[in-house]
Amino acid sequence: MFDRTLTGRRALLKSVAGFAAAATLPLIARTALAQDPGASAFIQKLGDRAIKTFSDKGTKAAAKEKFRALLVEGFDIPYIGRWVLGRYWNVANDAQRQEYMALFERMIVDAYAGRFAEYSGETFKITGARPEGDADSTVTTQIVRPSGPPINVDWRVRKAGATYKIIDVAVEGVSMGVTQRSEFASVIQTNGGQFDGLLKVLRAKVAG
Amino acid sequence: MTGASFLRILKGAASAAVVALSLTACSLPGSGPGEREAWLEANDPFEPLNRAIFGINEAADFLVIGPAAYAYNAIVPDPVRESVRSFTANLLSPITIVNQLLQGDFDGAIHATGRFLTNTVLGAGGIADVAAAAGIPDQKEDFGQTLAVWGFNEGPYVVLPFLGPSSMRDATGYAVDTLADPVRMWAANTDHEGAYMAKGIAGGIDRRSRVLKEVEDLRRNSVDYYATLRSLYRQQRKADIEEKAAVAQPDFPAFEKTPEAPAKKK
Repeated sequence: MFDRTLTGRRALLKSVAGFAAAATLPLIARTALAQDPGASAFIQKLGDRAIKTFSDKGTKAAAKEKFRALLVEGFDIPYIGRWVLGRYWNVANDAQRQEYMALFERMIVDAYAGRFAEYSGETFKITGARPEGDADSTVTTQIVRPSGPPINVDWRVRKAGATYKIIDVAVEGVSMGVTQRSEFASVIQTNGGQFDGLLKVLRAKVAG
Repeated sequence: MTGASFLRILKGAASAAVVALSLTACSLPGSGPGEREAWLEANDPFEPLNRAIFGINEAADFLVIGPAAYAYNAIVPDPVRESVRSFTANLLSPITIVNQLLQGDFDGAIHATGRFLTNTVLGAGGIADVAAAAGIPDQKEDFGQTLAVWGFNEGPYVVLPFLGPSSMRDATGYAVDTLADPVRMWAANTDHEGAYMAKGIAGGIDRRSRVLKEVEDLRRNSVDYYATLRSLYRQQRKADIEEKAAVAQPDFPAFEKTPEAPAKKK
């Protein structure tokens, strides 16, 4: 009786150990994936280059052009542009799509160039990375400011072949893509579901 | 005319006005492709009314609140602003503690109680945040968050006069927090309503003064500022409620082929 209990317990222990091993396996695989250094290295390099661009005291136009190149290289702007349109992508025809993409890129570059013109000594550090599905990783960073608490910024990075591109940025849990998508949807809605309504607004924005 | 029939007419007129107002104040989905989904996604059936209140809030911000915040930032020295911040934040601690208890977050409540006592006693009534200096950061919990923990949905979006973006759930939470606020009770019972109002206004201007650049940036870069704030508010609340632990990631599908933007003309 006693013996049986003991064996029973041993069997139980063994199965627990086996279960634990089975449970840790995917965990190990996940950690290995998370430690895929490519995405983090990409963000580190891009960030370093961005900071160098901002601290160079050249002409405003030259800095903007440099920054534009960096943005186009680091971000998958065509993907983001399409993603933020959501279902309205299907509403637009080819000519509208093309015009939209050109306007979207200019708007993004203008917005970010303006933002980084106010750069005043912020630095960043990578705090971690986790895999998202098959091709993506989220690289988590902290922007350290000269004053005030640090800001958590998460970069969603997609790998295509040997290159990495950013497809979304989340600041303190707020996704830029999600925000832009609801904004564009609202513009199209207030224009009676007409895609041209959005184009009109974007044209005015880019020109202004 | 008797008083009773006069009252009845008045009541009839009032309810007719309410019906008319709610009809004009509600947005209805359009009939185009996908418009119903878009309408549901926006979750903003009171949009016309919300936009009207938003417009008034923006005007108030342009005329009074914004300039006051800029002036406050420019005139009042940093340490004094820091003290105002700590003092008003410390007065909110009882609300946080009660909500943490209601959420079953006993560790959080102990934490917040320690903070409150430390700052009130050692921080001269809360004007110095000694607890933060000692490594106990401030964390705010409100009844809107408690309702979320209890399983209530956020409900439709609402814009509150002067207070700005909210939701049915969070506006309810705000009302409950305000009613239960011991500072407000003390003010009401001891004829210090003026001090309570002053605290509210100081807190509001201080909060606004901390986002001067951010607000400017959003106004400059959005094509629909109202919709941008609506989305930001929702995402921020969601992140606060889920404490950033497991914020659901949006789905990023692979598109077959995305056309490149035509080459930029030089």
